[in-house]
Amino acid sequence: MSTHEHPLTPGASFVDPAVLARIGNLELLARTIVDGFINGIHKASYLGVSVDFAEHRGYMPGDDIRRIDWRLYARTDRYYVKEFEADSNANFSVILDVSKSMAFSSGGLSKLDYAKYLAASLTYFANRQRDRVGMVTFDSEILERVPSSAKHLDVVLHTIDRAVAGRPGQLAGPLFRMTEFFKRRGILAIISDFYEEPDVILDAVKRFRTQGHDVMVFHILDPAELDFPYDAASSFEDLETGVRMPIVPDNLRDQYKQLIDEHTSTLEKRFTEHQVDYAVFNTSTPLDYGLFKFLSARERMIRIR
Amino acid sequence: MAFLAPLLLLGLAALAVPVLVHLIHRERDQLIQFPSLMFLERVPYRSMRRQKIRHWPLFLLRCAAFILLVLAFARPFFTSATAVAGALGGGREIVVLLDQSYSMAYGDRWARAQAAALREIDALGADDRATLILFARNAEAGARSSIDHASVRSAITRAEVGVEVTRFGPALKLAEGILDVSEVSDREAILISDFQKNGWAGDEGIAFAEGVVLRPISVADADTSNLSIASVSFEREPFSAGEQVTASARLVNLGTNDATRVPVTLELDGREVATRSVEVEATGTATVAFDPFIVGEDQRRGTVRIGDDLLLQDNAFHFTLSPGQLVTVLIVEADAPNPDSSLYLERALAIGSTPSFVTEVMAVSDLTADALVGRSVVILNDTAPPASAVGDALTAFVENGGGVLAILGERVRWPSGAPALLPGSFTAAADRIGSRGRVLGYVDYSHPVFDVFNAPRSGDLSSARFFQYRPFTVTDPESVLARFDDGQVALAGHDLGRGRVLAWASTLDSYWNDLALKPVYLPFVHQLAKHLAGYVDPTDWHTTAQILDVASLYAASGHRLEPDRDDPVAVSPTGDRLPIRVREAAVLFELAEQGFYEMHTSGADVDVPLAVAVNADRGESDLTMLDPEELAGAITGRAGAMAPGNLVARERSPEETEGRQGLWRYLLVVALLLLAAETVLSNRMSRVART
Repeated sequence: MSTHEHPLTPGASFVDPAVLARIGNLELLARTIVDGFINGIHKASYLGVSVDFAEHRGYMPGDDIRRIDWRLYARTDRYYVKEFEADSNANFSVILDVSKSMAFSSGGLSKLDYAKYLAASLTYFANRQRDRVGMVTFDSEILERVPSSAKHLDVVLHTIDRAVAGRPGQLAGPLFRMTEFFKRRGILAIISDFYEEPDVILDAVKRFRTQGHDVMVFHILDPAELDFPYDAASSFEDLETGVRMPIVPDNLRDQYKQLIDEHTSTLEKRFTEHQVDYAVFNTSTPLDYGLFKFLSARERMIRIR
Repeated sequence: MAFLAPLLLLGLAALAVPVLVHLIHRERDQLIQFPSLMFLERVPYRSMRRQKIRHWPLFLLRCAAFILLVLAFARPFFTSATAVAGALGGGREIVVLLDQSYSMAYGDRWARAQAAALREIDALGADDRATLILFARNAEAGARSSIDHASVRSAITRAEVGVEVTRFGPALKLAEGILDVSEVSDREAILISDFQKNGWAGDEGIAFAEGVVLRPISVADADTSNLSIASVSFEREPFSAGEQVTASARLVNLGTNDATRVPVTLELDGREVATRSVEVEATGTATVAFDPFIVGEDQRRGTVRIGDDLLLQDNAFHFTLSPGQLVTVLIVEADAPNPDSSLYLERALAIGSTPSFVTEVMAVSDLTADALVGRSVVILNDTAPPASAVGDALTAFVENGGGVLAILGERVRWPSGAPALLPGSFTAAADRIGSRGRVLGYVDYSHPVFDVFNAPRSGDLSSARFFQYRPFTVTDPESVLARFDDGQVALAGHDLGRGRVLAWASTLDSYWNDLALKPVYLPFVHQLAKHLAGYVDPTDWHTTAQILDVASLYAASGHRLEPDRDDPVAVSPTGDRLPIRVREAAVLFELAEQGFYEMHTSGADVDVPLAVAVNADRGESDLTMLDPEELAGAITGRAGAMAPGNLVARERSPEETEGRQGLWRYLLVVALLLLAAETVLSNRMSRVART
């Protein structure tokens, strides 16, 4: 992955053409019905004009007579109106965790940078399909919020650009407060490293699902967090709390990897149960590869559905 | 095992250092920032702290080196010699010197000494070599440098207290020789004794080699009391056919307490004849005189005893009393002698009781072979023996042990046919009347004739003036016993067969010299007669370890031992029969026991019994002790430091023991080797890890 200078639009550097080229033939479709204002690619929460027949209903005064199904009138001598599924654009918001732990890097991109690329790519991608894009950054509090708008791509990218990991994070509180922002059903992409208990995470995310949002959870982990490659006994310092602990990794590695595997497995299982798309992104994996894989799988799932 | 500085063992607690170094070592200071310790904190604490040791050899090397270092600084030492040998290997060379002089019989000294010696042997390691030296006056070593400790132990158990005095010199010399040839570095002599002062003169000239240790173990008692019969003297007076003898015993109290009501008993021929009670002050003496008793023709045995004390050996004093000896002297004069030429000789020989001389004067023409029978000495006073059968008989007399004194005066002519008895030849008389005469210028004081004059103020032989003499030429220069101041021979002598011949180049009357008028005349004549007769002063008692000349003993009693016929048998005080072979003139026999030895001539036609009284040397009665550390210091050249009064077996101080063993050096060396090995190993592992 390479970065490109876009002096005119801060944050545009996080939109990687290589990533976009890889996912360009895909669509970021909402898995659920979303509320939109214009016609789009997503299934709307109301019936409207589209090519997908929905149902017939009796003509009611005020209905557009152009929508009367004359063929059916001929057979039944009653006026019926044809209803079609409505397609809509969606609110696409990125909820980006910028807590201190996201600043971690074992050598390559930090998790936050990776998340920024991911957020920018998704936002750009969504904006390109006429979705309204917005963004919220948080750590232990909500830091910045960009309401969803078709015109907010630049603002979102700018917000992405300015995001800095600096304080300890917390998931439950900020996400709970965010439910106030997302009244209209839309697509939410939560990007975090999720250092919380699975129940806490699920409780926080579940609220969005309850509101009807299509929630995608991107779990960003550094390879060091997955593999724990340390071999020498050292003092480990928690980036967020500053707590230090002398650790001999050799004897700890297996247990650690087992714990992190259990954590991700639990999250995947619980999210799946609540129809939340969950993906672990290893920052050592090229973003286009991970994103392509994720969107492809998601698209397949929607078609099956 | 013990430690000189046990507190330093607390340093072993620092053993955690290499463990931590091993577990944390260079990454200890490295800080790794990690997104969250959420999962790390869930790992059980124990499994996180007790980390796996990755390099066991390194870990063990570091731990072992550290333990050895701490142990070395704690100055360890083995309290058991067995452990020392086991730990160090190589063994030690131990010489145990066990005093068996009779003072060791005082109280329970001997038992304690044996126990101490056995302890030393028991403490030996399997590789240690031990030598047991039993000593008193002399020293005797059993098997040298033996690893058969059982035999040494057995020898100690079998050993008994002797009757001899203490002499440290021979024993230490023997030990020095044994330890000098030993190739073992750890060499030690252990001297177990009561350390009597009399046993060490200080001029023995013994110095142990560097590194050889002399460890004294004293079994002496702090307070001693000992009453001893120092001697018994006799006053003899002629009485009827024998002698009347008054015995006086001298008692010495060598203790610090007064001895009261001490019974002193005189036994004669095994029967108690008198008892006296005396009191002897502390460190004082007392003399006990008994009533006179008669000594007739037969030898009498006597013993003076005092009551028992802690040292029994000097509580009895044995003696034998023999009737006075007779030396028969035949004076042969010329047929026409000078008047009173034998007067001085006769008068001089008539005086004295030890021995008594029986003289007879005879003209040479009257001399017959029979006249020689029973004579001890023949004096040819200014005459030569006849050249006849009588002359041959005189030669035979000499060869069979008789003595002849040839006085070469003015009348003597020695014809060619006369017996060749003289040790040389003489010429006509030399006249020194014109001058002040000659005096005796050279006297061989080592000869039995003159040895009594050797002591100061014991007679001035040079006081006599010799105005005439016969120049005498000896065939053997060694035969000259005295010379005049002009170098001429005055007295010469030689042995002929088993007899002796002396030639006096002047006269023994007052014609040619004034010797007869001088005080030395009488003892001189007595000495001449006693020497020629082979007379030996009877000895009333002997001391243990003395070498007895059995032939002289019999000669003193008037009997001559014939080789291969009169082999005597000695019966020791304990009843052992000890045959004595007669091969030469001197028959030597060692007196090893205290009491009465009985001598019998087994091969003779008539048994001649003789008793020999033997007493322990009274020098051992004085129990005054010397400082064992001083003795050890004098031998090893290293001053000891023993607390006064510590007279019981002295143990080494921990500092001494530790210093001698020096285990810390070995530990330090091993620790350094381990550290070197650790360095090599860690470097190698580091290289392997980098590649």
